[in-house]
Amino acid sequence: MDAVVKKIILEVKKGNQNAFSELVELYKDKVYQVSYRMLGNVHEAQDVSQEAFLRAYINIETYDMNRKFSTWLFRIATNLAIDRIRKKKPDFHLEDQVAGTEDLTYYSQFASDDELPEDQVVQLEMQEWIQHEIMLLPPKYRSAIILKYMQDLSLKEISDILNLPVATVKTRIHRGREALRKRLNDS
Amino acid sequence: MACNKEFAEKVHKYLDEDVTLLEKKQLESHIIKCEKCEKQLRDLKKTIAIIQSASHMEAPNNFTANVMSQLPKQSYKNKWKTWMRRHPFVLTAAVFFLMFVISVHSVWTEGNKEIIVKGDGHFIVDEQRRVVVIPEGQTISGDLVVKNGNVEVNGEVLGNITVIKGEQYLASAGHVAGEIQEINQVLEWLWFQTKSFFSDVISFIDSNDDKSIND
Repeated sequence: MDAVVKKIILEVKKGNQNAFSELVELYKDKVYQVSYRMLGNVHEAQDVSQEAFLRAYINIETYDMNRKFSTWLFRIATNLAIDRIRKKKPDFHLEDQVAGTEDLTYYSQFASDDELPEDQVVQLEMQEWIQHEIMLLPPKYRSAIILKYMQDLSLKEISDILNLPVATVKTRIHRGREALRKRLNDS
Repeated sequence: MACNKEFAEKVHKYLDEDVTLLEKKQLESHIIKCEKCEKQLRDLKKTIAIIQSASHMEAPNNFTANVMSQLPKQSYKNKWKTWMRRHPFVLTAAVFFLMFVISVHSVWTEGNKEIIVKGDGHFIVDEQRRVVVIPEGQTISGDLVVKNGNVEVNGEVLGNITVIKGEQYLASAGHVAGEIQEINQVLEWLWFQTKSFFSDVISFIDSNDDKSIND
């Protein structure tokens, strides 16, 4: 796997643009997943993950071949996602009340799909609920939790991606876990 | 929540698989007695399991194509360079072919003026008429090669005659034992060169063999 990736990167560095599409194919799902989990929005996730690949292509000369490519790529993607979150206008949350209404939250504006069997609805609601909970975490805990539990990365890799000491990553994961647990108990 | 700060910390370290064997034993025995800490650990494990159950996501269908279409356009020069790097033999072959054509051309055109004769025996070179004459009664023992001139055979040639950029006239009295060949075009000449090179090689090998037999 790593040898294959290295070979492709060497091709790209030599100026073979088409070889880059193989890299995109290999990593697109992972990068998209991180972006989506960070931003909670399909369009923004697509924007950010595409931008991440573009930046990777443009800056491929600065990539150190001795390090893991996925770490470098995730770093670009998480930085872009965090930038995007910072620049975002004051966000609204799904459970906020819609202005001028009583008892009506943004949740109730989701189109409900009657045709789905019950367990699928439950599954879908569960998925939405997870994403919703993730989005409620402050971005710095969010990135650590996503990389740890959704990408299954080691603490060392996460510390490389976020450019933080391992101890700080641990603390963020602990706090993120704690915050999620609290709401899970409350709900 | 855990019963105290120390155990709260330990529970997290436990989940990170970051505890020593002793700490692990301590926590495990503590949990049996302490309901709070047991619940804390159970809840956190449940939280992790839920987060991990989040389905894996796939990038949209046209993702790769979109990315590729947004990459900065490669210049024509760059594309050409890439193509060359991927097909080094084409470049090598092209260079060799060019060298070959140049050298053949220079050999073919150079010394157009001078009449060159190769052969064993007596002959007369007539510079004014640009003719090599084999006089009557004379014999050329081997092959005769004449370049940049005509040949007039009045005597006898035991081998082949090759005329490069010229013509041969065989007088009625003359006699040629081998073949007569006129070469007036580059390709013909090339073919002749290649053939004679290989026949030289073969005769060289043959003579070596003869020698080794004699030894």
